[in-house]
Amino acid sequence: MSLTYDEPQLADVLALAEEVWRSFVGDDEPLLPAEPDPGIVAYAATVTIAGAWNGAVTLEFGDGTAEAVSARMLGSGSMTEADVADAVGELVNMVGGNVKSLMPGPSALSLPVVSAGRVAHSNDTTEICRCDLRWAGLPMAVSVHAHRRQDGHQS
Amino acid sequence: MHALIIDDSRAMRMILRRIVTDLGFSCSEAGNGEEALAQIAIGPRPDICLIDWNMPVMDGYTFVTRVRSEADLRDITLMMVTTESEHGQIVRALAAGAHEYVIKPFTPDAIVEKLTLLGLVRDGVPA
Repeated sequence: MSLTYDEPQLADVLALAEEVWRSFVGDDEPLLPAEPDPGIVAYAATVTIAGAWNGAVTLEFGDGTAEAVSARMLGSGSMTEADVADAVGELVNMVGGNVKSLMPGPSALSLPVVSAGRVAHSNDTTEICRCDLRWAGLPMAVSVHAHRRQDGHQS
Repeated sequence: MHALIIDDSRAMRMILRRIVTDLGFSCSEAGNGEEALAQIAIGPRPDICLIDWNMPVMDGYTFVTRVRSEADLRDITLMMVTTESEHGQIVRALAAGAHEYVIKPFTPDAIVEKLTLLGLVRDGVPA
């Protein structure tokens, strides 16, 4: 028995995130690959994909990153926690929806879930793709988890 | 010309509102399809609805089918604005009666271009 994963390519996931950032956060501060940040994860936003391919796409934001990204996205300096959760939820929705389009279909995209701190993934998933990033000098990351398959076949 | 923006994300509603009001549309918002149907019932009646697909309570696809099942709402233009980009879903939405389909992320120009193609904008202002 072997375990297999369908894997979106890191370059594709990064390109999708960059496109979302350019469109909604602005193109003056690019997303830049970075070393993993040892600091806390203040917010995590995730969407799951279920169907022909099963997995999850997650954005993690270091301290202050989600607030700064949301302020830029909304063009506003004063926001509630709900505003920040809504904005980063929409960002992961867009990245996740486009990752879904790269994978075998049909499949369904969940509504985004935003949590304070790191998101917990279930035991039957594994991280297959991760890119640590900096935006405007602030740490964040995009990752993709896939459900393990035990039939030895790709979807 | 009135636009109804239907999206569960307040951030996305704000972004779309900015685009259509800059063009000169009046605008209202709903957080899901059910809210949107209630708003249409009490007015103002929209000339166009910009509709997300994935929303709680009533999703955008269901909203399209509901609007298209009402004979007196058939003049409302329906445009999906969604991350759902599978070919089958696009075909399904168009077959259900959506006039146009925009995949997120989009640029303001892409929205203006679609509104122009639909005949709702001419020379950068509502037609």
